[in-house]
Amino acid sequence: MKRPIAACFFAVLTFAAKAQKSYDASLIPKDLLPYASSVVRDEEITIEVKDLDNAIYHVKKAITVLNKNGDEDARIVIYHDKSDVIRGVKGTVYDQFGKQTEKFSESKFDDVSVGSGSLFDSMRAKHYLPPVTDYPYTVAYEYEERSKQTLNFDPWIPNAGEGIAVEKSTFTFICNPGFNIKIKENNLHDKVVTGLNKDGQKTYTWQVNNLKALRYEPLSPYFRNYATSVQIAPEKFAYYGLKGSYTNWNDLGKWISDKLMANRQALPAQTIEHVKEITQNITDPKLKAQKIYEYMQSKTHYISVQVGIGDYQPFLASDVDQQNYGDCKALVNYTQALLKAVNIDSYYCIVKSGRQHNVSLLSDFASMGQADHIILCVPFKNDTTWADCTSQTIPFGYLGDFTDDRTVLALTPEGGKLLHTPKYPAALNLEKRKAEFVINADGELSGSMSTVFKGTEYENRDELLKEQTSEQYKMERKNYPINNMDIQHLEIKQDKGFDPSTTETIRMRARDYATFQDGKYYFLLNPANRETYVPRQVRNRLNDVNITRGVTEEDEVTYTVPPGYRLEKRVLDVNLDKSFGKFTANMELKGDKLTYKRKFQLIGGTYDKSLYQDVVDFFQSVADADEYNVVLVKN
Amino acid sequence: MKRPLLTFSFVLIAVIFSQAQDFRFGQITTQEMNMKNYKNDTSAHAVVLNEFGKSTINIGSDDNIKQIYEYHVKIKIFDPKAFDKGTVKVLLYSNDKNEAYEDISDIKAITYYKDDNGFTQKAELENKKIYPVKENKYWASAKFALPGLRPGCIIEYKYKIESFRWDKIRTWEFQDDIPKIYSELEVHIPAFFTFNASIKGYLKLTKNKAEVESKCFETHGASCDCSLINYGMADIPAFKEDDYMTAPKNFASAINFELVEWQSPYDGLKHKQTKEWRDIDYSLKTDYSFGGQLKRKSLFKDKIAPMIAGKTDELAKAKAIYQGWQKWFKWDNFIGIYSDNISRAWDSHSGDVASINLSLSAALAAAGLNSEVVLLSLRDNGAINTLYPVVSDFDYVVAKVNIGDQAYLLDATDPLLPFGVLPFKCLNDKGRVFSLDKPSYFMDMSLPQREKSAYILDVTLTDDGKLKGTLTNYSTGYEAYKRRVEIKKYNSTDEYVESLNNRLPKWKITNAKIDNIDSLDMPVAEHYSVEIKVSDKPEDASKLTFSPYYIGRRSTNPLKLDERSFPIDMGMASEDRYTLIVHLPSNYMVETPPQPISLAMPNNGGKYLSSYQPGDNSFSFVYLTQFNKSVYGAEEYPSVKEFFNKIIQSQKAEMVLKKK
Repeated sequence: MKRPIAACFFAVLTFAAKAQKSYDASLIPKDLLPYASSVVRDEEITIEVKDLDNAIYHVKKAITVLNKNGDEDARIVIYHDKSDVIRGVKGTVYDQFGKQTEKFSESKFDDVSVGSGSLFDSMRAKHYLPPVTDYPYTVAYEYEERSKQTLNFDPWIPNAGEGIAVEKSTFTFICNPGFNIKIKENNLHDKVVTGLNKDGQKTYTWQVNNLKALRYEPLSPYFRNYATSVQIAPEKFAYYGLKGSYTNWNDLGKWISDKLMANRQALPAQTIEHVKEITQNITDPKLKAQKIYEYMQSKTHYISVQVGIGDYQPFLASDVDQQNYGDCKALVNYTQALLKAVNIDSYYCIVKSGRQHNVSLLSDFASMGQADHIILCVPFKNDTTWADCTSQTIPFGYLGDFTDDRTVLALTPEGGKLLHTPKYPAALNLEKRKAEFVINADGELSGSMSTVFKGTEYENRDELLKEQTSEQYKMERKNYPINNMDIQHLEIKQDKGFDPSTTETIRMRARDYATFQDGKYYFLLNPANRETYVPRQVRNRLNDVNITRGVTEEDEVTYTVPPGYRLEKRVLDVNLDKSFGKFTANMELKGDKLTYKRKFQLIGGTYDKSLYQDVVDFFQSVADADEYNVVLVKN
Repeated sequence: MKRPLLTFSFVLIAVIFSQAQDFRFGQITTQEMNMKNYKNDTSAHAVVLNEFGKSTINIGSDDNIKQIYEYHVKIKIFDPKAFDKGTVKVLLYSNDKNEAYEDISDIKAITYYKDDNGFTQKAELENKKIYPVKENKYWASAKFALPGLRPGCIIEYKYKIESFRWDKIRTWEFQDDIPKIYSELEVHIPAFFTFNASIKGYLKLTKNKAEVESKCFETHGASCDCSLINYGMADIPAFKEDDYMTAPKNFASAINFELVEWQSPYDGLKHKQTKEWRDIDYSLKTDYSFGGQLKRKSLFKDKIAPMIAGKTDELAKAKAIYQGWQKWFKWDNFIGIYSDNISRAWDSHSGDVASINLSLSAALAAAGLNSEVVLLSLRDNGAINTLYPVVSDFDYVVAKVNIGDQAYLLDATDPLLPFGVLPFKCLNDKGRVFSLDKPSYFMDMSLPQREKSAYILDVTLTDDGKLKGTLTNYSTGYEAYKRRVEIKKYNSTDEYVESLNNRLPKWKITNAKIDNIDSLDMPVAEHYSVEIKVSDKPEDASKLTFSPYYIGRRSTNPLKLDERSFPIDMGMASEDRYTLIVHLPSNYMVETPPQPISLAMPNNGGKYLSSYQPGDNSFSFVYLTQFNKSVYGAEEYPSVKEFFNKIIQSQKAEMVLKKK
């Protein structure tokens, strides 16, 4: 289930021919030009539901490309699978004056498979980009696509990317009076216009005009939260031969359980025997579940395979048992079956995954297609435990930053239920380092450094642990910005309990760490953990500042420096305390012991956009402090 | 860059009856099952126990000549990191003429593993779990995943491909990202066909045996003997990629085949494929998709007339046509050296590399200029075989125009390339210069292209702790191209400057002027008025310590490893020069100036210099880095690494300003 929502940017032509708009580029309103590489001149997207298994989509769009950067915005991409029928593809290219220069049809399109990362994926795309080298130019096109399912309707997002302005876009949904829909509108200025057409069908129409091009703004909230969009969900629907209806998450969850999940957890007797055997001496159900989870991890691995009913159905637990692989659906279903063998109940949970943003399912709008991943929830008494079944290495109960702190749909015996996954607060996402180094007269650094990683940082050395020693040394040299790092000993320990942690200890030396010149020593005070990221400034920022999750870094480094020296320049002493983060860094030289302490903390949350420049300045101050160069001069 | 390259001629050694050399499918040993690691490389996540391939030219099921390729491999998997070896994707080519892809059959796959009780079990791949996918118009694939993987298991699979490409024997890759205990390729080539074989990489064959099979090929009454050759290699180490490296293909051990000539079994006619360069010259010249297109000068006579109207100078004409082509064509992102129809490409404004550059060459000729083309191999395609003539190593073609005694190489696929500058990807090994009326010849593609940047920061230290003044940046040669690409990512120069400003929170750009953005033959000159925040409260201190390496300071070494087995390929020579001029307030003086330094790499490989010049209440400080070569040999790795180390060392030093 790893894919963008359903499939199709389709629609239907129901309007009578209108007077052709002029695509002269000079007619684009001037205020739409800043930051725009292309401008959608006119877009009409219509979805007409003729029957539960017959939805016709029509897309009609004209887009003016202002310069080379906008070329890809004009690419026509029609997603489809075997059951979709594409018709009436045609288009025209106009020059900057709106004069027609070329016509094209479906024969120009290339048809490609889009699931190259999967063992199998039925999704395909027909695509074409008219080759034009004189800017600006306009591509106007239309097509029709018929879908046999009405469970998913593609959302209307008129301004779908950075650098695209929209002069006009309309979205119309047409259905029979008996076809009830739920609507989720986001950031719309104008209300929906409803009515009846001449055939007695209900019509819903939305329109936007003059949307300016979006710019990239670092630390923005999830795009869909601030973009203009309309999503539609059916009440009654048909899906690959299945029928159903729902008005809320509870109903939808029940339908998934009954129609897609039923009777898929049978296991061979031998396997049931085996899991009973390995857990027979464990009484605590949570420890039992942990044992079974670890067994599942040691036995299986993740492969993306989009087969089964419309990609929503897991393949059989017995298949996973035999094949030892599965996608997220199959692996969770399999783990549930194993748990059931020792009488532990668990929930199959549908979630939108992603590290950059924690996206929750919309509590007030139930629909399929909001999610892309499956995780497991085990509801122990007073202790609900979560697990991702696609990793062979993470501990039981650990979700990490891929599915933390968000609302998910759990399939319970009582139907679908929205639950929230655990949050990892700043104080618990810890990278804590302690180092003791000696800098000798030649400027060589030597000593040892120990780092503890917890919370979302726990996984930081997982990739490295998959390698043998020589490869691990190479990777550590890339992890740390210490030139000439010569590792003499490396040890990494992981505690895979319910509060997991990773501890790394490195003994090392690095020649030329300090430069000796003119009777002075120069070296960087912060050896291991220099922040170099400073978000770029944004004039007239539109979005609030989003820090998805917090983190805490603590560094304490003690240097023994050559005797008889003092600090030449002002000592580092920084103390920043902001609502979104804290930073302290200071140093002290006592005799030949130089102590450096640094604490950096980011606090997850959404902050008013007026704070953005503060965030930039904060990171810049941190980066500056981390660049602090020690100058030691002879007493 | 030395690369051993061997050729083999198909000498008949003895006529014997041959037997199949493949190892038996479905057989594993206890020793293989119990292996804990691979003794020659204990860091390996998996090892190929045995691998056997067989390419046969024979009559296919449809009575046409085919290449039948059989592949069989057995891999020991030590840990889950190598489970990806159990997901197999076999690519099948189509020539896009009749939608016929190469045909795969006889897929069999087995996993051997120890069950929870320690007994060896096997799991077989079910046919319904083989997934055929039509990827695009050129490629289809068959994908499958081995069942029942677990650490310590052995996987074994085989398949057969019937290919209409009988003239292209598949390249056999001895070396992969995991080590191999043994790998062997067997080829059966009927005497009607003659191929050249060449070995790439530094590893030696451990088996190289040629025999004759009698009467192994028969069609429509014609028959002949075959050469049966076995190439084997034992104990092959894993191939590991490094940073700053060209195509792995250049270094990994493999064997390539090239059709030299063939005789039609149907009419007995001989076809020379590649023998001497003059044969290749002839076949390219007569090939409709190459010489056939280059000849079509007359197509462009009237199209170039307006471009060169009023121009008498040859160089001006060439530039005008080149710029016309850059503007006319949009490259469709396909590469290659053959074009079906340059006229159609012209009409559609769109084409692949060959259509654009062959037509450019034809147009230059139409203008009466001395025009040729250069066939070359892109960097990621690897070096070309220069031991005997082959054309299949080339995957890119550019135009060459000779004016006076000066030659200019032209690639019109990129509208931002200056006249006579090739993209980085083209700077690789050797190119073959081809023209319609002269014999072809090699030219070196490590062109004297350079990237060069010069920054001049001229500022005054003010009482409020700021540096105010100007920053000027000149980008020359290829650097100018890269700069233009960067600037053109924005919709306007203003947006570029705004973005630049946004990325430098301590800098304020108060005024900006950029010259020569569209004059591709000139350096890009960026002029900025800047204010830089140096210190929050400078008046606190009687001394001000600061780093004069205000821009372009290095603090980490890009070369991290102790040693290296492949050349460091930087693509082209480069120079970065930074000049800092600071005017001080009258109450300040320099207490500790920066130390001038001069570093040089051996053999004039490069240098680093800094120099300090005091002035009247001011000083200037220049530091510059030069890399004079595009490629440094593996043996030079320690000196290049140390060169960086020394630069970093010297740039740690700070200068001290003192209040008078």
